[in-house]
Amino acid sequence: MTDPEDDIGGDRRRLIGLIVGGVVVAFIIGLLVVGLVAGGGSTAIDDALVAGQRPPAPDITLPVLVSGPGLPPAGQQASLASLKGTTVVLNLWASWCVPCREESPILEKVWERYRHRGVLVLGLNMQDLSENALAFLTKYDITYPSLRDGTDGSKRDFEATGVPETLIIDRQGRIALRITGQVTDVRQISVPLDQVLAEK
Amino acid sequence: MPRIIAVLLAMFVLGGIAVPAMGVSSQEIFREVRCPTCNTPLDVSSSAAAEAIKDFIRTRVAKGQSKKQILGALEAEFGREVLATPPKKGFDLVAWLVPIILVVAALCVIPFITRAWARKRAADAPLPPISAEDAARLEDELKNHPQ
Repeated sequence: MTDPEDDIGGDRRRLIGLIVGGVVVAFIIGLLVVGLVAGGGSTAIDDALVAGQRPPAPDITLPVLVSGPGLPPAGQQASLASLKGTTVVLNLWASWCVPCREESPILEKVWERYRHRGVLVLGLNMQDLSENALAFLTKYDITYPSLRDGTDGSKRDFEATGVPETLIIDRQGRIALRITGQVTDVRQISVPLDQVLAEK
Repeated sequence: MPRIIAVLLAMFVLGGIAVPAMGVSSQEIFREVRCPTCNTPLDVSSSAAAEAIKDFIRTRVAKGQSKKQILGALEAEFGREVLATPPKKGFDLVAWLVPIILVVAALCVIPFITRAWARKRAADAPLPPISAEDAARLEDELKNHPQ
């Protein structure tokens, strides 16, 4: 014969075990969900562009690495939102990135050709050391301004997979074009840029 | 004179050995810094971004900067995310506490589970065969005490 009190104690222990186990499992699942949501790569920008829409450019605010027209002095914060009304060619780059180096003369050419038409070629240096970034700009005679992001924030915001990447942002602050990878021909930028500039 | 030279040489050699042992090694810092492009510690990464940061660290180690100074400079450049191990303060403590909590919880649950298994196994186990002597005694008892 088993003691009924033993049965009650056993049931209670089993219940406690189930509760503790359930809490632990729920906690682990919760952490996995948070990790997936936080680290999951969104494709909203690409999806919108493929659908023929112009998604709004993320409103990033970053320190200025090298200043230029419409931007505060180096070291101060600048936001993309403050550049509304200006067509921006935004180039994501890093000094250690070989394709970034190879495409920089093309971006410099776009800057020289379009700056007088109200276009701002703006670098966005990321995943890089600022001293290396500044040395890169000097070495390759890059004169267009740059912002700097040491964190992964703007990379996430722009849903970028890496560098280089170039975006054309229209006067309304919407992304009109995205070029993933190296720009190899000036027309990759000039043709769509002319179309965007022709818009009223 | 030769003895003095020998002593000076010994001091020079020992001093030379002692200097790197006292300072921080680049490799030690590589393990604590995350590559911004591949999210792995620098010592197991050979990406271009990782190599650039390794050069930054080597230069500062050569200048005699401390580990704290170098990690601080990298944190100023890249934010706290550049550290491969989160600092043991604030919300980052969660990363350190969660594994400990999980281990403690598992240790608490294991006795309950093993006891339940043992009990179930004992209940399911077949009874051992009764000896002829015990069988005779049981028969006798049942006859004498039918109720």
